[in-house]
This record gives sequence, C-alpha cells and structure tokens, in this order.
Amino acid sequence: MLEPVMFTGGLYKHDLVIELVEDLGGYVLQKNVTQSEVILLILIPSEDKPVLESLIKELRGELVRAPLAGTEVAVVTPTLAIHHLPHTACDIAEYLRRHGSKTNMIGLARGVGQEIAQINEYETSLINEHDAAVFIFGNFKECIKRKESLYRNISVPVVVTGGPEISKAELPYAFEYVSSVGRVAHRARKATEIGTLDRIVEAAGRALDKTRAEMAKDPLTTSPPRVMDAVREQVPDVELSYSPLPIALNLNGLRVKLPYDSYKDLVGAVSFDEGVKLGEIATVRPSRMKDYILVRILPASETGFVF
Amino acid sequence: MDPMEVFKIEVTGQEDFGRKKYRELIMDILQDLGLIRSIGRLYVYIDVMEPIFAVYGLLRSGIPPLTVKDVGDVMKAEGGYQIKINDEEHMADLLRVLWDRYGRERVEQPVRDVVIIASDTDPSGLMVADLEAEFLQDLTDGLIRVAPEGFRNRRNEMTKDSFFFIAAEETLTPELIAKTKEKVREMENA
Repeated sequence: MLEPVMFTGGLYKHDLVIELVEDLGGYVLQKNVTQSEVILLILIPSEDKPVLESLIKELRGELVRAPLAGTEVAVVTPTLAIHHLPHTACDIAEYLRRHGSKTNMIGLARGVGQEIAQINEYETSLINEHDAAVFIFGNFKECIKRKESLYRNISVPVVVTGGPEISKAELPYAFEYVSSVGRVAHRARKATEIGTLDRIVEAAGRALDKTRAEMAKDPLTTSPPRVMDAVREQVPDVELSYSPLPIALNLNGLRVKLPYDSYKDLVGAVSFDEGVKLGEIATVRPSRMKDYILVRILPASETGFVF
Repeated sequence: MDPMEVFKIEVTGQEDFGRKKYRELIMDILQDLGLIRSIGRLYVYIDVMEPIFAVYGLLRSGIPPLTVKDVGDVMKAEGGYQIKINDEEHMADLLRVLWDRYGRERVEQPVRDVVIIASDTDPSGLMVADLEAEFLQDLTDGLIRVAPEGFRNRRNEMTKDSFFFIAAEETLTPELIAKTKEKVREMENA
C-alpha cells in the first residue's frame, strides 16, 4: 500500500530523495522550492518507508505523514468579501495544505444572507470536481441551518464549519459539522483555535476515507498517481504550464492544466506498458476550472480489468 | 475590560454563542479602525429570525478640527511665515489648504519638513482637516464591516453625538425601523 508522506529539508541533495522514491516505485506528487528549502509530497510503499527515513535522517530533513496528500479539497466561503476573508478561510486552507491536500478557495457569488443565499450550477459542478468540500459559515445557529440549500446538491462529502454547537441530526446534508469556528476578525493563534483546525483536518480525513472505502468496493482501473507519471512522461508540455501544480491529483482521477482543445487528444493517447491507452480506461473531458483537462479513471466494473 | 462605558448586545432566540462572538468581533473591528475611544456607549440589537442587525451608539465629545498650528510650529520669518512640520501625516492636506489660500507661487517648501509662505497673514488658524468628518466616515465603514454581509439594505442616521445603524435582508420599512428603535430604547432604559 502507498503511504502519503511529506518531506521538508534543504535543497542540497534533495534529488537523492526523488531518485530513491522513484526506484522504490513511489511517486513524487508535488515539489515546492522556497529559496533554500524544498517540500516534497510523496507516495511511498509503506514497507519501504524505513529506507526513505534513513536517507532523510542522513540529509537532516524531516518526514511526516501527510494524510490528505493526493487529494483536492475545496474551501468554500459565502463570498470573497472582508466579512469572510482572510482570517478563518485562509487559516483553514493553509492548515489543510500543511497536511498535504491541494486546497482551492472558492468564494460563491451570492452565498450571503439567510433568505437570499444561493449557489449556481457552475459553482456546484466546480465543487464537485474536488474530493471533499469545507463550507465556512458564521456564528448564528439559525443562519447555518438555513444555508443548507448551498450544499444540498453537492455530491462530494461536505464538512460544515460554524460557531455554535449544532447536533449532526439538524444538518442532514452535511457529512460532519465542526463547531467553534464561525466568523472571527483575528488569526487563529490560541491553542483552542489550533485545536479546532485539527478537528477540521480530521473531519476532512474521515470524509476522504469514506470516499476511499466506497471506491474500494469497485476499484479504479489504475491509480491516479500512475496516470500522472505517464502523462508527465508522454505529454512533456505539461511542465511548461504556468500553474504551480501542473497536474492536480484527485481520488478518482486528475486535472491536467493544459488547454483542453489543443491537448485532449494527446492526453487521451497516453499509453501504458500493459498496452492500453488512457482514453480507453478513463474519460477525458473539459474541467470547469479554466480550460483545463479533467481525467476521470473508470472503475473495474466498466473496463473489466485492473492494472 | 471594555474601553466603553456601556456595551450591550442583545440577540433573539437561542443564540448565546453568536452574542458572545459578535461582541468580540465588534471589539476587534472597532479596535482595528481605531474608533473605540470615540464611542461612549454602544447598543447592538440582532434579530436572527427577521433578520435584522441594528447598532445604536453615543459618541464621546466632538473632535475639534485640525488647524495649521496643530501640525507644526508657525514662526514669523523675513517676508512671511515659516511652518516647521511636526506631524507629516496631514502634509498633503496642509499643502492643499495653503495653496488654496495663498496661491502656489507664494508657498515654498525648501526642505521636507519646512514650508515658507510669502504673505503677511498668519496661517495658524487655517483648518487643515476635519477630523470629525473623517471619523464619521471611518465609523460608517466599520459598521458595514460589522454587519453580516447578506444584509444589503442599510440605513445610517448620524448626528453630532450619536448614530443609529440598521441593516436587513428585506426592504427597510418605516414600521420596521420604528420597531427596532423601540427595542434599542428598551435596552438603553433597562
């Protein structure tokens, strides 16, 4: 089984880590270079983890488990106005990133108010491209309950956050509810506030586990990291994309950040050693995010094989 | 400890958490904007079911306008007056006022913090900035920030020593405003 981990260390000799991961049959999901430091998100076979640990110890780096690595989480606020940003939304997004997830912040166009709050088809389908969503609401119980219409039609698990204590039974469409967040006008710095952020990460982790468990009943034809590797190799233009993460991973596929019209055939033609093409085992369609390419890997029940 | 003499906040229904949080939030925002010292009493009334958000406040005694002698030392110099600036924050306002009063050709700024005026009229009493108007602008901005964002119908009544701000999702009718004012008055008299 592949285990998601995060390496933090110096830039010097970090290619040794990348080489080792590739030799062991793992994948480097993301590489972030900040001046003389590098952060790598890695999937590594769990039985080979001690080998990686010993190398990292030699390099004086740090290796921690990143439970959300390889997933994409949407952090949704009612709008992008000063009332909801920056404090809570940015804290939550940043905290999810530190646990390895790729986080996108989404501000709804008309998500404000009790009676007037609404979400449109575009926003819904954009959120549905993620693996889980975190909705950030305010301090009043009544308002949080009435805003259910915003996430009722979302098919991915939704973690709702807000201020007061509300029992789960009162929010039937939410996957989980995390209290004591709400609207605040300062950054999270107290131990209790950081503890709340931990609870959101745990809830997001459980939401992703639920999706994973559902997918395990009908496994994907191949794993998204393997597709990512093949796309990176056979469509070299992807490295020229200006996006900081040219290929974003989801639990059931990936998003290739290249223009759909010019690259859809190239991506569909990516081939594997087993002799199949990506177009045969996955759907390649336009993403709702800019003009990117969305790849959704088909389950074994549709293709009839797993590799 | 609250820097205000009175700070009451009332929320209808079972919203004790929201009441406490809004108290913190209002303090944070007013402190960020540096308004808290100028407000003596503050009453906040929130009706979650309606929904309505109202703030009534009494202001501390008025802030005098800023004059030239407040921002610098005025000295009589040869052929006019010299102003040595102490507070550069209002430099742009000061220059604009002097240009308007004396004309650009009579106002000279040889160094950053010195302005020389070629005129016999003493500039000490000229008004540089109306701090009270600035304060009221900041206060309106603060109140809009405090009010929940969905409450787009707003009304703000400001007098010299008090303000009443009301925001709601639905149209603000005279009856609704009168009813809310009554509630706030009850809080004040309680």
